Amino acid sequence: MKWKYCWRTCCLLALHIVAASGELFEEDLTLRPLRDGKLEARFSFTTLLKGATPRDPQGLAEDDEAQHYTLFPLALGQILREHAVTELHLTLNAGKWNYDHWGYPDEPGVSTGAELWAWMGESVPASLDARWQGLRQSLAGLFCASLGHLDEQRTTSPTLTFQPEGALPNFTYPHQLRHATLPSEHVCTENLTPFLKLLPCKSLSGIASLLNPHKVFDADWHGLGVHVRYREGTGVEVRLAFQAVFDPVRYSPERRRDWSLRSVFDRSIERACPVARANKVRVELPSQASYTISPGPTDVVDNTATYTINSGEEALDIAMQWPEEDSFQYPDTSSAPPLTDISVRRNLKGTSQADARLTVELTNNLPIQVSAGYLEAMPWHLQFYLHTLKAQLDGASRDDLVDILAYTPPVPHSRPALLQAVLTLPPHATLQLTMDVSKPFLRYTEHPPDAQRGWDLPPAVVVPFAFGELSASNDTSAEESQLGSLRVQERAAVQGRRPRRMYTPVLLVDLATPDFSMPYNVIIMSCTLIALIFGSIFNLLTRRFVVVQVDPQSPQEPVPAQADADAGDKAR
Amino acid sequence: MDSADTDFAFPALVAARLLLAFAPLPEALKYDQQLSSPLTSYSRLREGIYLFEHGVDPYSGGAFRHSPLLLSLFSTVLPLTRYTSPIIWTAADATAAWALLQIWRLRTGAKKTSRDSQIAALYLLNPYLFLPSLALSTSSLENMLCLLALMFACRGRASASLFSLASLLQLSLPSILLLAPVLLLNITRPVSRLALPRPLDASLTRTIPLLAEFFGYTALLSVASTLVCGNPLWVQKTWGASLTLPDLTPNPGLWWYFFTEMFDHFRPFFLMVFSVHLLIYVAPLCIKFQHDFLYAAFLLVGVLAVFKPYPTLSDPGLFLSMFAIFPEIYPYLRHPIVTALIHLHASLLLPLFNSLWLRQGTGNANFFYASTLVFGMGNGAALMDAIWAGLRIAIGELSEGYEVAQE
Repeated sequence: MKWKYCWRTCCLLALHIVAASGELFEEDLTLRPLRDGKLEARFSFTTLLKGATPRDPQGLAEDDEAQHYTLFPLALGQILREHAVTELHLTLNAGKWNYDHWGYPDEPGVSTGAELWAWMGESVPASLDARWQGLRQSLAGLFCASLGHLDEQRTTSPTLTFQPEGALPNFTYPHQLRHATLPSEHVCTENLTPFLKLLPCKSLSGIASLLNPHKVFDADWHGLGVHVRYREGTGVEVRLAFQAVFDPVRYSPERRRDWSLRSVFDRSIERACPVARANKVRVELPSQASYTISPGPTDVVDNTATYTINSGEEALDIAMQWPEEDSFQYPDTSSAPPLTDISVRRNLKGTSQADARLTVELTNNLPIQVSAGYLEAMPWHLQFYLHTLKAQLDGASRDDLVDILAYTPPVPHSRPALLQAVLTLPPHATLQLTMDVSKPFLRYTEHPPDAQRGWDLPPAVVVPFAFGELSASNDTSAEESQLGSLRVQERAAVQGRRPRRMYTPVLLVDLATPDFSMPYNVIIMSCTLIALIFGSIFNLLTRRFVVVQVDPQSPQEPVPAQADADAGDKAR
Repeated sequence: MDSADTDFAFPALVAARLLLAFAPLPEALKYDQQLSSPLTSYSRLREGIYLFEHGVDPYSGGAFRHSPLLLSLFSTVLPLTRYTSPIIWTAADATAAWALLQIWRLRTGAKKTSRDSQIAALYLLNPYLFLPSLALSTSSLENMLCLLALMFACRGRASASLFSLASLLQLSLPSILLLAPVLLLNITRPVSRLALPRPLDASLTRTIPLLAEFFGYTALLSVASTLVCGNPLWVQKTWGASLTLPDLTPNPGLWWYFFTEMFDHFRPFFLMVFSVHLLIYVAPLCIKFQHDFLYAAFLLVGVLAVFKPYPTLSDPGLFLSMFAIFPEIYPYLRHPIVTALIHLHASLLLPLFNSLWLRQGTGNANFFYASTLVFGMGNGAALMDAIWAGLRIAIGELSEGYEVAQE
């Protein structure tokens, strides 16, 4: 009893100290059962450094002022100060996010592999690209991921799609975006361990104690993310996120979709993190009835049950069951409409290793017109023939629905291609884009160790940003009148929509490989042929012609020569 | 054999070519790697024009490596569409065949000869030449400019010949090799003197103003190209491509696989060696054939056919078609049948092995590389035979029991 009070006092004291020092830590877990029996779990750990501002890159030549962190991760903070980064987003994901069946993810960055993008201010003492490289190397060391491969061959600046999520302070020079993707990067325990080390409570208490690598990396989709942004007037916020989609049906012997924290994570939440100001577990309740949830939630608001973890009580193990179901029946896909506004599919067609066709199919699931931004940041391993880009709507050619805003052609061996376009999708229609592409031929040293596997191509990013025929107008009265003229159904479809990024799956392109055992042979054979021809030609040109008598019986004199001097007859 | 034949043959051949150009076959040839190289491909030309018309600098990327003159020509005066492109390329082929015919007539000194239709047919029906032309590869335009330069030089019209050569240089950097023989052809006569070699009788100082004129034309065209693009980036992307070989797309030449398998450490050295190697043929061939510079130009076309950085089938095609205007060497060719058979062998294997490697996946790169080696041997054999015959003809007919040898 005494120890319990002592423990509580220490926790309160710690909280007061932390509150006084200007750092704030919150943790949050959202559990959402999906309609195909899977369970989406999103962990979010937010640390706010009150009153802090990002470092001005102009001051990089001088020493930085001393930074004191209690809860804010020191390793990450040092990296941010060292390279003067204002906003940073790093995600390491594995799996393909199924937008049609799982809906929009809570964390929008679901590109397979590693994706790193940062807004940094330009500066004179240390150039932005040098700092971008330093940032990549530091993050690679911190997270044990090969982020160093995100070099100039994969870095672009797609400002139209990746707008800053926080504020950008007014520095001497404007901010610039650097974005790079490495789709072939894997995520595993090696990346999770340093990730957890950035949390104040590590994985010892609080919600982070659920992150059991054995279970979490067995999930159908899993990914971790680090998001740093500057909130004007508040401070610098670091949000560490972990998202996973589990499949309870796969684990259960009776193929039921009942789940509990114990069955999914093999752990329960023993105690709360003492320095967390707020620690909540939210469970989204399914819309159909006939489920049970235990223990009883602290609060039920708007179809979401909230649990607060209190210290000193029993371990929290939330369980949801469907007692009336025997085994889970997967919903019929024809009667299960897609859960997102638009569906995207991207394919690479063709059987040749010299050229191919890239096709993108976008289906608009809404009854209103949708304008979507389309971004392709393609490394030079696939070269576009932009003049062959054709758009077809249900078989009819509709090139007017594609408006290319910006295109940066790729430079072989150095720069990727960047294509930014706006696509207009009519209601309930499928737009098909096709474009011829050519597959380049790499040098011997540029092929990766397993060359026949091919190269992973980064996903395209689609951002539906305008819904309905409404133009983005600030005049609310005009909007009201325009809204009034729409049908009720369309009006309902327009309201509540906001631009959210969607990522297509990655592609694999196989490029023609030379024979890797042959460098010596090729060099000697080619050089031999060249030397043969060279030698023969110069032999012919430099040696004197002579007339030779081969038959000693021949009586006549040969016809006198008329060519080169000295080409007289010379009997042998 | 009579002149009426000639009057019908040439237009008939051109009409046949035009019909063939509108057939569905050329669609399949569009991306073929034997018929067009990264410097001459029609798709890349269309891509560059598209980017140019939409405000993107086509030279900021690596896809477009054509000359800015082609960019400006085809985006303004001659638009490239499904119907105009075959007509333009057929016209280029017809002009080239006509130029070859004029060269032949100037060489023999006759207004009409009995071999006129044969010469035109040997150019227009040569598969090495009409297949790239059907694929709309700009190497056909390069061939046309080369033959025009030689024709004007034979006529003695120095300015026209130097301007054609300067235009050709804008399209293809390795054709600088033809500068020396064209310059010297301008001050001598094209009449065949292979059988009667004598030292150069014209004064070399007469070439200096011609050289200055050529550099003037080159500077003028380069400035025009820079004005079209707005910046001098095109130099590195077009001429620089022949020197640094950034694009390793397979072609019938000897450079691509060599530099694919090269380690990066040695790349600059071997690029320098291969480029200088092209230049060292100019002086010896011009000196040895100073009595007949047309023949020296012909031999340098052959050197380009074998050793050019980004060749297509048009380059050996031009060399083989130009054999038609030198019938005096036919008796002195040592191994024409061997050369022909090697060419037949290679020309059948090149597309086959390319397809096996890239489309069917049952072969690997070595197959195609081996066929390019055989093709190189065939071209080399033709070149060596031409050099031998050109020198041997000077010795003339020999009676029984005597042979010509080299010591």
